[in-house]
Amino acid sequence: MSEAPSAPRTVEVPQEARDRARELGWEDGLIELALQQGHTLQEVWQALRAGVTGEQAKMYLARGARVVRPDFWWMRVPTEWGIRVRPKDPAMGLQLSDLMVGTYGDVPDVWTNRSEIARGSWPNPVVEDMGYTIFEKAIVWADCVVPLYEIAIRDRWAAATDLPWSTLEPLPTDIERAVCQFLTEQSERAYFEATMWAGWLPEISYGFLELKLFLSTVIFDLARHSEAFRKRALANGGGLGLQAPTDYNRIVKEARTFPELAAVLFVQDSMLLTLFRHGERIAQNQLERQLYALCARDRERLVEYQVERLKHFLYKMPDRREEQNLYFSKAEGRIAKEWRDPAVWEPLAILLGGGTDRIEEGRRMLLELRKAQVDDYVANLRRATFERKSLNGRLVAIFEEATAPTATA
Amino acid sequence: MAVNPSTGQGEGLDLSWLDLYDDAASATPSKKGMTLADINLGRYSAEARGAGDMTFRLRGAIPRPNAQRFGPNYQSKADVWAENCLMLYEEAVQRQWSSARDIPWETLEPLPDDIERAMCQLCTMLTEVEFIAGDVPGQWLPFVSAQDYEAGLFLMTQIMDEARHTDVFRKRALANGGGLLAQGAGLGLRTLIEARDFTEMSVLMHIQAEGFVQSMFRMGELIGKTEADKRIFRMSAQDESRHLAFGVMHLKYVLDTEPERREEIHHYLDKAEGDAAGGGSGDVTFPPVFEALCILLGGGKDKFDEGVQKFLLLRKRQVNEYLHRLEVAGLGDRRQRVGPLLRQFVEAA
Ligand SMILES: [Fe+2]
Ligand SMILES: [Fe+2]
Repeated sequence: MSEAPSAPRTVEVPQEARDRARELGWEDGLIELALQQGHTLQEVWQALRAGVTGEQAKMYLARGARVVRPDFWWMRVPTEWGIRVRPKDPAMGLQLSDLMVGTYGDVPDVWTNRSEIARGSWPNPVVEDMGYTIFEKAIVWADCVVPLYEIAIRDRWAAATDLPWSTLEPLPTDIERAVCQFLTEQSERAYFEATMWAGWLPEISYGFLELKLFLSTVIFDLARHSEAFRKRALANGGGLGLQAPTDYNRIVKEARTFPELAAVLFVQDSMLLTLFRHGERIAQNQLERQLYALCARDRERLVEYQVERLKHFLYKMPDRREEQNLYFSKAEGRIAKEWRDPAVWEPLAILLGGGTDRIEEGRRMLLELRKAQVDDYVANLRRATFERKSLNGRLVAIFEEATAPTATA
Repeated sequence: MAVNPSTGQGEGLDLSWLDLYDDAASATPSKKGMTLADINLGRYSAEARGAGDMTFRLRGAIPRPNAQRFGPNYQSKADVWAENCLMLYEEAVQRQWSSARDIPWETLEPLPDDIERAMCQLCTMLTEVEFIAGDVPGQWLPFVSAQDYEAGLFLMTQIMDEARHTDVFRKRALANGGGLLAQGAGLGLRTLIEARDFTEMSVLMHIQAEGFVQSMFRMGELIGKTEADKRIFRMSAQDESRHLAFGVMHLKYVLDTEPERREEIHHYLDKAEGDAAGGGSGDVTFPPVFEALCILLGGGKDKFDEGVQKFLLLRKRQVNEYLHRLEVAGLGDRRQRVGPLLRQFVEAA
């Protein structure tokens, strides 16, 4: 009856099919009878999956009818029907935000389904636990992820073709190497951060779909930052320098929960946004100016998420407010330690000052930049309703030493 | 090059990091801009990869003597590598598209109720399946060594692609007077996240599951009823072809460089093909999906039997394309061992 499959050879019936047939009361030999009548194994399998009983199968076969008897039960499941979403903003097209209607837009405070199920679809009563661990909205969610996802896609760029590679001109050796050292470090930081967010994706349940979609754009952004930094380092007579220090990255890796991960990353995400916003001062040419500006634009979305997530989290889980100080303090301390690393601060001082011979001048400028990074970070925390009463001593010390009369630096 | 770059915290200047460049790199852009292939030079190149590294040091960067490890990851290149990953990464970056703006949503028009319901059921299944296709590369990224940097970058593009697929099928289900319908069951999705080895995962996800999905997307002209629907399948197929290409070339790399893994890989496939559905993930035999596809392919509930015939053609196509991809990867002998539910569709080579 079917022309699609090749002519029946001796068909081996899978054990799973036999087990299922037995469950449904198919007599022994009924599968073989169906096959002899010209039904394909696939059709028999469809009948078994659809729950055709032995009684029914026998009847169909006696009449020479098909064994596949669809009943289209799925057409009648009581999900919300009749949805016709339209773009609210025609310039942006059909956005995720347009989909937040009726039950489909309902992101519950606690998502209870442990299986993989599209939010808003009709749950199957018996499905495997997929092993997600994050079911509380307060832990991961921020409303801004819905629009930010689409903005990230609209604002995508390609390092290969959107940067003016042909305009690169040779730089003085010390300057070129400072660029390369700075970018070696940043390329590693971006790549590492992407892998860390990515590693947490399988933990988050389907209830928070839009958040996962947004995080996917973050991962893709960071991939491109890492890639672009590497390309720049290898394009102008330099190369890769010393790998990034590992103190800060280790605590990202060590995070035991998503809120800890987010808190630890909040510190660097904010600090790096400020750094790239000041990219004009570090950049040595047009390509770098554009590159840092693009990175800043991408990182703004990430910091917006970070701020809103923290604010929402603190509002919903006020008893966890003090705990956050522990993560912020740890991250500040590690970052301060890395800011003192010569392979971290010296390249920036050379770039800011304009050469090795002007490194002391550059160091003063770097201190101002570091101050701006810390001020912005404290302000971002404040936007999230978090008052950081006293910063980690290692971080404070960087500024105190610089102003102390005995400072040699 | 400084043998032991100092990274102490003395008050004076260090500057030893300035002396790490004995071999200057001056990549020049090609026709496609400055690509990963253009910077694949000298000691920075994939070919110059040395030993494994657990510190996230990027390939070609100078090690810090005091660098801490970040936990176990894959130490040998064959564990995660595919020779086309540099090219696939660049292609992925260039060919990103927007489900919001690149689908002609205005071409959607009211469809007969049975057709719209069938399309919505198919989209419900797909938006579910695409969700795990992002989680799985996410799960493995921390285990990919930064020595195999471009393989990691490629997986990051896949996460982005799958987000877009999850999103576009959800949009489609809600855009034409319908909604989501029944959750899948027994779609075999858990096998993807159960994989305990990167190659196992890649063969099951990139080659098998995404291959089956790809063969279906390629029939999108028959399945889709509006220009918007057809475009969704075309654009998604374009992305899937990269994911498949990675899987095929990864398997090829493994079989070329570690031929002793051949039986182990057959073992994973024996399990996956031996499952009742006979096809692991991307399974279209779940009754609501099967019925929805028959309605769409046949052209209505009343043409269900015609639909069944076309569905069998789809299965045939899925199975034979799958075997062909395995053959390209060097696993042509799979044809003789393919699982019983797939065997009925195998055409003579
Ligand atoms: Fe996909
Ligand atoms: Fe895919």
